[in-house]
Amino acid sequence: MQQTQTRKKRRGPFHTMLPFWLILPTVLVLLAIQVYPAFYTIWLSFHERQPQGWEYVGLNNFVRLLGMGVFSESVGHTIVFLVGYTSLTLVLGFIIALLLNRKLKLSGLYVTLLFIPWIIADIIVGIVFRLLVVPDYGLLSGILQNPAIFPPNGISVLTATRPPSWFGGFPFPPALAMIYLIMASAWRALPFITLLLLAAMQTVSTEVIESSRIDGANGWQVVRRIMIPLMLPTLVVALFSLTLGGMNGVGMVFSLTGGGPGSATEVLSYLLYVLGWSQLNFGRAAALAMLIAVVNWILILSTLRVTRVEERTH
Amino acid sequence: MFGVSRRRLNVWLVNLALVVICIFALIPVVTTVVISFKGERDIIRKPPNFLPCDTPTSAFDPTACRWSVEGYQRVLSPKPSEGGLLPFALTGNIVRVYIPNSFLYATSTALIVVFLAGMSGYAFSRYRFRGRSLLLFAILAITGVPLLTNLLALYQMGVVIRKAQVPFYDDRLFLVAVYTGFFLPLSVWIAKGFFDAIPRELEEAAVIDGCSPFSALLRISMPLALPGLMAVFLLTFVNVWNEFIAGYLLIAKNEFKPAMFGLYEFLGQNIINLQVVAAACILIALPIVVLFIFARRSFFAAMVEGAIKG
Repeated sequence: MQQTQTRKKRRGPFHTMLPFWLILPTVLVLLAIQVYPAFYTIWLSFHERQPQGWEYVGLNNFVRLLGMGVFSESVGHTIVFLVGYTSLTLVLGFIIALLLNRKLKLSGLYVTLLFIPWIIADIIVGIVFRLLVVPDYGLLSGILQNPAIFPPNGISVLTATRPPSWFGGFPFPPALAMIYLIMASAWRALPFITLLLLAAMQTVSTEVIESSRIDGANGWQVVRRIMIPLMLPTLVVALFSLTLGGMNGVGMVFSLTGGGPGSATEVLSYLLYVLGWSQLNFGRAAALAMLIAVVNWILILSTLRVTRVEERTH
Repeated sequence: MFGVSRRRLNVWLVNLALVVICIFALIPVVTTVVISFKGERDIIRKPPNFLPCDTPTSAFDPTACRWSVEGYQRVLSPKPSEGGLLPFALTGNIVRVYIPNSFLYATSTALIVVFLAGMSGYAFSRYRFRGRSLLLFAILAITGVPLLTNLLALYQMGVVIRKAQVPFYDDRLFLVAVYTGFFLPLSVWIAKGFFDAIPRELEEAAVIDGCSPFSALLRISMPLALPGLMAVFLLTFVNVWNEFIAGYLLIAKNEFKPAMFGLYEFLGQNIINLQVVAAACILIALPIVVLFIFARRSFFAAMVEGAIKG
C-alpha cells in the first residue's frame, strides 16, 4: 500500500488519474444499460400508457396484476417449475460430480462431452426437445402415444392437459408438458452445476474422508455427514443461481411449449412477455417485472452473503 | 489382492456409469442430427422410426438407408447465380439475413466488451483507490441481474430514441449497447481474475528498467493477459449468439433480427417439416459447438474465474 502511494506521486497527473479513466467507460455503460432501466421500470410500474402520454396511477398496476387469475396461476406454475428444476438439477449434478471426482483417465473427455448441452442456446434446446415429442411424428411420441404401452389412447406431452389439482387452485400434479419442460431445462443447466459442485468437492480434503473411512463410515455416510456439510455454501450458491436462472429464463418456454397446452407451462417470465408484448399492457407488465426483480435482488444479495464476497473485493 | 481387484471393478463401474450419462446427455443432440438428414417420407411416418434404414423385409439394413439433405436444401435454398464467387447463392433467410446479423452482433459486442473489461479489469487488479471495493461489489451484484426484468424499460428507451430521430441511430446499435451492458459485469470480473494472476513484479521490473507504466501495461501485461481476454471474447460471443429475447423484442425490423429469432420464426412456419427445423438448428448451433470443442480450455478458464462469483 505504502509502496503504491509513493509510486503514484512520481507519476504525472494522467497516471494518478489512470484507473479513473480506465474504469469510467465501464461505469457509464452500466449506468445506461443496467441502472437507469432498473429505475425506469419502477417509474413505469406506477404509470399507465394512455393515448396522450403516461398517466400516474399509483399502485393500480400492482392491484390489478394481483387480481388477475393468470397471475396466481403463473405463480403456482413457477413454484412447481422451480422446485422440480432445482431439485432435479442439484441431485443429478451432485451424482455426476461424485463420479467425476474419481479422477479417471477419461475425465477430460467426459467433461467436454457433458458440457455440450451448456453451449447450446436455450431456444435450440427447446426445439430439440420439442422435436422428440411432436404429436404423432416425434420419436418419443411413437412410444408415449402407443395405446399398447399407455392405454387407453396413449399420451401426448404437448397436448395432454393438467390433471385435476390436489390442493385447490395450486397446479399440482403438473401437466406432462411442465415435467418435460423441467427435464429439458435441467438438461441444459446440469453441466454448469456439475462443474460448480465438482470444484467444491475437490476442495474437500481427502484426508478427512480417508480417516472417516478407516473409522468405518460407509459411502453414504461420508457423503451425508462430511461432503454435504462441507459443500453447503456451494450447494446454496448453486440453488440460488438455478432459481435465478429458472425464474428469468424464457427462451425454452417459447420454443418448447409456447406456454401451453392451455396455460399449463405459463411461468411468470413468460407471463411478463404476454402482458407486455402480446396484450400491450405495459403498466401491469412493469409491475410484474418489479415483483420478479425484488425476488432476484433477494437471491443475488443472499448469494453474495453466502460467498462472503467482501473478502474478494480487497 | 482382493482390495486391488475391487478397486479396479469400482473404476470400471464408474466409467460405465459416466459413459451411460454421456450417452443420455447427447441423445437429444444425436436425434436432431439424424432427423435433419431424413427425407419428408420418413419424417411423417407413423409410428416414427429412429433411423430411416428399414426395408419391407428387415427392420434395419444399413445399405438401404434413405439419407437426404432435403432439410438443409430448404434452409439454404441455393439458387444458381452468375458472377459471384460461387456458382450458386444461398437465398434462405436464415443464412442470408439472420446468421450474418448474429455474427455482426456477437463480434462487435465481444470486441467492445473485451476492450472495456480489459481496461477496467486491469485498473481493479492493479490500483487501490477510494470506492474500489464498493464499485467491485456493485459490479458483482449487477452480474446477477437477468435481462428479463429490464427488458420493458429497455424496449421503451428504444421507442423513445427512435422517435427522437437521432442521426445515424439504428436499432442494431442499441442492441449491441444492451448486450455490452449486460455481459460486461461478468467479463470485468473474469478479466480482473486473469490480471490478478499475472505477477505485478514483471511490470515493476519493466518500470525500473525505464519503461513508462502505460507502456508496461501494453508491452508486459497485455500480452500475458491475452489468453484471458480471448476467453472473455469467446464467452461473450457465445452468450450473444445464443441470446433470444432481447434480439427478438428490441429490434423492430425483421431484416435486422438475429439467428435465434430466425429459428423461432422458422419453427412456426414448419410445423410438420421437422427435418427443416432440425437442419436449421444444426446450422446455427454447429459453429458454436465446434468453437467450444476447440477452445474448451479457454471457456473453462473463464468459467472458473467467473463461476466463483456464483
